Amino acid sequence: MSTPTQVVDHSALKVNQTGIVVTVLVAFIGSALFRPLLVLIPLLAIVLLLGTFAPQLALFKQLYFKVLKPRGIVKPRPVQDRPEPHNFAQGLGGVFLAVASIFLIPLPVVGLALSLLVAVLAFVNLAFGYCLGCQIFFQLERRGFIKA
Amino acid sequence: MSAQLWALAVAGAVVVAAACLETFRARRARKLVLATSTPALRATSPQVGRNEEPYILYFTGDSCTVCRTHQEPALARLSDVRIDKIDAVNERALADQFHVYTLPTTVVMAADGQPLHVNYGYAPAPKLERQLAEARGAGLRSAATA
Repeated sequence: MSTPTQVVDHSALKVNQTGIVVTVLVAFIGSALFRPLLVLIPLLAIVLLLGTFAPQLALFKQLYFKVLKPRGIVKPRPVQDRPEPHNFAQGLGGVFLAVASIFLIPLPVVGLALSLLVAVLAFVNLAFGYCLGCQIFFQLERRGFIKA
Repeated sequence: MSAQLWALAVAGAVVVAAACLETFRARRARKLVLATSTPALRATSPQVGRNEEPYILYFTGDSCTVCRTHQEPALARLSDVRIDKIDAVNERALADQFHVYTLPTTVVMAADGQPLHVNYGYAPAPKLERQLAEARGAGLRSAATA
């Protein structure tokens, strides 16, 4: 087995996951009092999808690299790793939030539930290191749908 | 507010259902592996063979972060045990034989090549140590009866 030669800063991933959880929670709880806060869900979907295809546009990761890391607020944690599974997981989160955004107006329960599930998965990754998107990536790679 | 409460209930139900499904899948896969005959496993890979001591098959992959951050430090804490590291993507036949659907997966093998314990997902060092101790105990019992 080849050991990944790339290094992924896991603190950037943690900041990204924290951003997802906080944004969804603000939209979820806040929308009960101030409904326009629901707009945070489609905005988050755009941020995640943009960040998947253009890392320089990943808002939370840029916040980490440009603000939190230089000021020593969050310490870097470089790990020999492949960035592809994490990008795939982020993209999957973005897709789910995009679908949730479509449902927010006609069927708010479905839209909010989908958004909550994305936040739950981001929290599980943040707290326990279990990345469902990475497991799906592994299954797709194993079946030859994704080439390493 | 009612939309939020309903959404919470729906998301909670999905999480509970997924947890039940995962438990069922792991149990089923474990049963299938433990029922697998040893000669078939030996024929599949030269890495699986007869040993003096119990050993561990460790299924991992490039895409597995938990393997590097959690599982490998846990395996490093185990003393005096052979660990066969297997790429689940490249060694697909062997991975299929052990029904590896998630990474990491660790299999505690008896000295005679019989799988004794299968752990889908991260297995902490104390759990693996307990399973290895059981495997050593089983080996001693079978040697005594032989």
